[in-house]
Amino acid sequence: MNIVASNKTNEKVLLMGNEAIARGAIEGGVEVVTAYPGTPSSEIVETLAEIANDFDYYVEWSINEKVAFDIAAGASILGARSLVVMKNAGLNVAMDTFMTLPYTGIKGGMVVVVADDPGAHYSSNEQDTRFAAVYAEIPCLEPANQQEAKEMTKEAFEISEALELPVFLRSVTRLSQASGDVILGEFKKPFKKIGFNKHWKMPYRWNVYGPPGPVNKHKWIHLQMEKSKEIIEKSKFNTFTLPANTNIGIIASGLGASYTLEAISELGLEGKLAFLKLGFAYPLPEEKLRKILKDLKKLIVIEEGDPVIERQVRSFAQDIFTEIEIFGKERRQILNPYGELNGDCVVKGISKAIGLQLKENQKRVNIKREIQKKVSPRSSTLCAGCPHLGTYWAVKKALQDRKGVHIVNGDIGCYEQGGYGVFSHKINPTDDNSKAYSISSPYEILDTIYVMGSGIGMAMGQSQAGYKDGKILAVAGDSTFFHATLPAVVNAVYTKADITYLVLDNSWTCMTGHQPNPTTGINTTGEKTKVIDISKIAEMMGITCIRVVDPYKVEESIQAIQEALDFKGPSLVILRRECALQVQRREKHKNPQTFIDRDKCTGCKQCLRLGCPAITFDNENKIAGIDSLLCVDCGLCNQICSFGAITLKKGNNYV
Amino acid sequence: MFNMIIAGVGGQGSILASHIFADAAIRASVANGDNDIKVRLGETFGAAMRGGAVASHVKIGSDVFSPFVPEDKSDVVLGLEPLEALRVGVKYIAPGGIVIMNIRKYESVDVKTGQAEYPSISDIIGSFKKLNANVITLDATEIAIKAGTAKAMNVVMLGALAACPKNPVPRKILEEVIKDRVPSKTIEVNLKAFELGFNKVSEDLRK
Repeated sequence: MNIVASNKTNEKVLLMGNEAIARGAIEGGVEVVTAYPGTPSSEIVETLAEIANDFDYYVEWSINEKVAFDIAAGASILGARSLVVMKNAGLNVAMDTFMTLPYTGIKGGMVVVVADDPGAHYSSNEQDTRFAAVYAEIPCLEPANQQEAKEMTKEAFEISEALELPVFLRSVTRLSQASGDVILGEFKKPFKKIGFNKHWKMPYRWNVYGPPGPVNKHKWIHLQMEKSKEIIEKSKFNTFTLPANTNIGIIASGLGASYTLEAISELGLEGKLAFLKLGFAYPLPEEKLRKILKDLKKLIVIEEGDPVIERQVRSFAQDIFTEIEIFGKERRQILNPYGELNGDCVVKGISKAIGLQLKENQKRVNIKREIQKKVSPRSSTLCAGCPHLGTYWAVKKALQDRKGVHIVNGDIGCYEQGGYGVFSHKINPTDDNSKAYSISSPYEILDTIYVMGSGIGMAMGQSQAGYKDGKILAVAGDSTFFHATLPAVVNAVYTKADITYLVLDNSWTCMTGHQPNPTTGINTTGEKTKVIDISKIAEMMGITCIRVVDPYKVEESIQAIQEALDFKGPSLVILRRECALQVQRREKHKNPQTFIDRDKCTGCKQCLRLGCPAITFDNENKIAGIDSLLCVDCGLCNQICSFGAITLKKGNNYV
Repeated sequence: MFNMIIAGVGGQGSILASHIFADAAIRASVANGDNDIKVRLGETFGAAMRGGAVASHVKIGSDVFSPFVPEDKSDVVLGLEPLEALRVGVKYIAPGGIVIMNIRKYESVDVKTGQAEYPSISDIIGSFKKLNANVITLDATEIAIKAGTAKAMNVVMLGALAACPKNPVPRKILEEVIKDRVPSKTIEVNLKAFELGFNKVSEDLRK
């Protein structure tokens, strides 16, 4: 049984931050849950989907964050408690309704969970979405540990209903993806009392344009946020310690507060500093702030992400406490305004602000520097037997035969690794206007990568700008096709853009942990549902050159891509083959039958260029090998070896 | 306070191993009535499912708050792969700490394509010695195959850890959590793997 569904109240268990948020939602009586998967947020709804049958809520993986947000909002204005979950970049997609919903407010508690990614471990950028909560003028909670993540999620429903506004809960990678001890609470039975009243408490309540109009509805948000002050001031999530005779203080929020507590103990400063731990990044508890600032000369602000709290504190302090020196990520900078926090940089930052000298063992530093040189990088790779390996091999071959500087626009998904490069491969940039580079591995094939759905749009821009130096391609996965590229495909047909769009259809949303999507055939909770065929949609949208091919078939894939590249106008190739990991999990693949014929292998390393992690190379004997722990017998290396040296044991077939 | 980092390559099972250990640490604290003890488990892994460097930080203690071990403060580095043991160890191992290392290499694409070099095992061990760390090595992959499957290498390493005097979590509780957390069909193989790893290191330490 999943521990998140455990009814053992008061038991202490190990929960991941995301599991703790899922548990908090159930303890808060959630009724409708929506999300689009995105690391580091995915396990919240993955968990809620897995245990959905034990509880009385609705849960879905929506097509994108905007749709997910609208669904949660629709449920909430009927009075249902709703939870919508996304990663940092996902909020950008949902932004339209996110900015407007507070004007009407909501009825049933609505909690918006956004997991940021300082350090950009799994994201295109480090954006701090707490700014978005300030922008939309709604309360923003920021948990410091897994226990708080659970408590805050639960409490957020109450605050949301008290203020009739959505409440924002901001997590970060190191909270969502980390685990800690959590004491389980009681489940709350969902209210299940939904109803619709067009003029609920106010005229034209659910219509921003309805009288008295958007400006008055904006004014109403400010009245509600004024009311929030009392809640914020009393909240158990904002706590402070104020020892006598100190003129140095720290304000820290979220995970920053956890690093700070450890730094205080490391530096032996317990009981010597004023410390305000904030659970709300917006709005700030002004009374508590006033009390702590009163006697201070120096204030250090420690927060994960951008200086969101620091700016609010500075703006608050500037009229009343003009003498205080404020240290943080801007002006008196003690922490980098980029990258993520860790215990070491917080210790150094605090020391710098208060003028403590840290001892450094120079001898050890030198030894470490020498050893560090031996630690070679480990580039990330696609999995053994990944269908994308076949796709990228075919793309490389198809483009190799054509002169020019071709552009392959990437997108977001496992296949984005096609643009990560080989970490130890040194690049020498030049200022040539157009320049072709040789491609030695599938990890060097994508030329541009930004965000979900941007690849095909970029390709259209290159086509419409009149680029003639080479072919223009865009790549996206099946889930991305539905999430963000449908309008772009229509646009391409409508404007006759001369581009080739490759959809890498492996039937799952893989990079975020294999969630189902409209190409999978099952829904969020595993029930059978209709498979939506991408080629049929494209055909109805007006694309006339469509090829569907199996990327495990190398020659056919090259041929299909060549035909699409030759076509004038928008063309589409769907490279369809289920994710090899999912097939493995289902079919429990036995020992692989692929092996290297040692008499035929010439040591040419052609097979290594496929980029499959199951192919090894014995440098002493100059011979390739197959890692039997990884190989799935996909047959790709068999097709690309020019010497017939990679083959199957007798009586076996490739998948 | 006890700090440990489990280092490996995506797919080797370091995340499962770290969850087993952290879960066992919580159960041990509950069994002892230590209500102040907190456990944190922080993980760093690449975007991919497989093949990238993975490090799981486990912290146990009453003054633990954040999920990451500071530099030079890891009491134990459990290396499921030699290069990853070194990658983590050089930054985090505490002077006097223990590195328990599986000697089976998992070569990177960088090494396979000749763009980077893989340091020798003796060079890696020598590096740890320079950092004043103690090193215990074993071919955990070979031991796991003996137990029934190479996939149980991560549990062999947990057994090896359990044999070290620095390990704060009772062997019995670790075995109990293994039973709860590994797929039910593989419980026997995993318990065998744990025992073989435990025995190997116990014998080496006795010598």
